[in-house]
Amino acid sequence: MNRRLILALLVLTPMLGFAVNTAEEAQQRLHSAIDEVLAIADKAPNREVLVQRIGPVLEKHISFAAMTRRAIGPGWRQFNDAQQKKAITLFSKLVIRSYSNKFTIGEHPEIRYQSAATPAAGRVDVTTTTLYQGHRYNVIYRMEQEESWRTTDVVIEGVSMVANYRSQLDPVFKKGGADAVISSLEQSVAKPQ
Amino acid sequence: MKQTTLEFLVGGFVLLGLAAIAYLTLKLGSGSLIGGDNYRLEARFDNASGLHVGGSVHVAGVPVGRVESIRVEPIDYSAIVTLSVLSGLHLPTDSMASIKTTGLIGDKYISLSPGADASFLAPGTRITMTESSVDIESLIGKMAFGSLEKDKDPNKDKEKPLTP
Repeated sequence: MNRRLILALLVLTPMLGFAVNTAEEAQQRLHSAIDEVLAIADKAPNREVLVQRIGPVLEKHISFAAMTRRAIGPGWRQFNDAQQKKAITLFSKLVIRSYSNKFTIGEHPEIRYQSAATPAAGRVDVTTTTLYQGHRYNVIYRMEQEESWRTTDVVIEGVSMVANYRSQLDPVFKKGGADAVISSLEQSVAKPQ
Repeated sequence: MKQTTLEFLVGGFVLLGLAAIAYLTLKLGSGSLIGGDNYRLEARFDNASGLHVGGSVHVAGVPVGRVESIRVEPIDYSAIVTLSVLSGLHLPTDSMASIKTTGLIGDKYISLSPGADASFLAPGTRITMTESSVDIESLIGKMAFGSLEKDKDPNKDKEKPLTP
């Protein structure tokens, strides 16, 4: 009995250590990504420059392919390769622009890292509190391990960005298929903000 | 003799009726009359307030299952909800589970939103992409009274003009 217990502990202890390391690694990655974004936002003279400069950084830290696939939902499997590529490009533009629009030039948000949980293998949820313009927001970054840790969803005050887009794009797909989704994304990207 | 047979028949019929009522009560109470064969899935939520055992599970607004149990995960204090879903319904692995409310102050239920993955959730799998109950009271509170960190400088909330 004791031998079994020791064996179980020997097996489980490194796994526990791995989970802690994994969560810490993901949180550190997110920390450096946010610092990088904020450094750019602090130096940007206006929003157009901010969008230009922030795009490549967000593409490095956000998995837009996974985000787009999940935002479109079950219809994604019926997109051909060209349609999938186009959808990813448009969705990335839309998210980058929406994200950049949340910044007010000159304002610096304060991010407090609360906890990092590992809900599944290769997944880490980092819970943060963002203080911005006098308001406090609860933000969870859902991260997945690809070639490195990348964000696949952002949950603000309990509302998931992917779920929000899926609830809008899935009906569009059911109505008009892949072309309708692409056209809807094109319209959203073209719309002046 | 004839009288005894009749009494036995009536007694048997009454017992059968009572058994049928007991069966229906149990089945309707647990909601397992939906469909037939079910399989179990788990969903992890940060907050499952307002959700009850027996609550319905929907896909595209159609009831496809029930909430079987709700418990707290002692490691990270999250809420683990066990769902019983129709066995014919195969959900992609990146499906999302959200706690929604019927109307503004109605019952809470779980809405499953199928994802895009080609693989499907196996029985017993845990859905980790979830949306918890939105705390309407705290949102109203924030709107009505503002946050504690509300800026002391009233002009700070105003968007600064962008330089060209």
